[in-house]
Amino acid sequence: MRNSIVKIVSVVVFLIATTSSFAQKLVSQKTSISFFSHTPIEDIKSSNFKSVSTLDPSTGDIVFSVPMQSFEFEKELMQKHFNSSDFLDTKKEPKSKLVGKITNLSQVNFKKDGTYNAEVSGELTIKGTTKTINEKVTIIVKGATITLKSKFNIVLADYGIAFKKGKPSTNIAKTIETTVEAEF
Amino acid sequence: MKRKKIIQILLTILVLALIIAGSNVYYQFNQPHRNVQASKADYSYNSSQIVNEYLANPTAANEKYLDEEGNSKILEISGIVAEIFEDFNKQKVILLKSALDKAGVSCTFTPETDATVNQIKTGETITVKGVIRSGASYDKDLGVYENVIMEKCSVVSK
Repeated sequence: MRNSIVKIVSVVVFLIATTSSFAQKLVSQKTSISFFSHTPIEDIKSSNFKSVSTLDPSTGDIVFSVPMQSFEFEKELMQKHFNSSDFLDTKKEPKSKLVGKITNLSQVNFKKDGTYNAEVSGELTIKGTTKTINEKVTIIVKGATITLKSKFNIVLADYGIAFKKGKPSTNIAKTIETTVEAEF
Repeated sequence: MKRKKIIQILLTILVLALIIAGSNVYYQFNQPHRNVQASKADYSYNSSQIVNEYLANPTAANEKYLDEEGNSKILEISGIVAEIFEDFNKQKVILLKSALDKAGVSCTFTPETDATVNQIKTGETITVKGVIRSGASYDKDLGVYENVIMEKCSVVSK
């Protein structure tokens, strides 16, 4: 009698553990965020591989936390300008964040291989300023791996990011093309 | 004659000034990145110390370790190797974390120092030098603790 109770309890515990782990949030440290700025004077690009992202397939919640000092530039001077209090002020605002949700979750099947076009809406916070964004995200499901890919534009003025004067004010585009990728 | 000489001297000074100013601008524009590996560490800790300092007071820790132009403090962190993996840039990453801590120190290596990671195994205690990029914190939206992030890392002892 006692033995069968133990058996039943362990089966129930096992079931809860396995089903809840399926509904659990996925965490990724395999991320890439890069941006590209084009002006007639010069093209500037930079990449960051140190963001942490979470994806909850059951709710469609997507979060990215981006350590701003991890953006690397070809030229040291560009990196200094990027971090400075005149531009991204990364000492005071070391992280940017996206808190989003897939709005057409019914059209994405995380259990079936394929490429899905998702719509994500959410709040993007850069340099302490939060704006609502709506962007298209491609979700690729292949076996146990889920990949998110997106390319969108960020208008620097929306986040109060601008060089008031000097060379950086003319050499940096007002709109920055941003590419995001994460593998879960 | 005297006048000609004065003009000559003035012209020489002008040319020299232009060369100095020009090379200064050129240097500013082409200044090299700081060599983290060749630099001396500003602080030495074990992974628990830096993680807990950040969790206790992130604002004070950012003030202490982060640099306004991105050349933040160089740290030497010793700790237990909890994880070894590759990031999206194909760089080796070692997580130094004590089992008792909520977060650890994530150390990303470089193409030059990647090979040294091959000799490291999880469970070992090692010391890594690198530049700090951001601190440890609990993020309520992620629902997880974020690690201290160091880049340009190398193993200094094992």
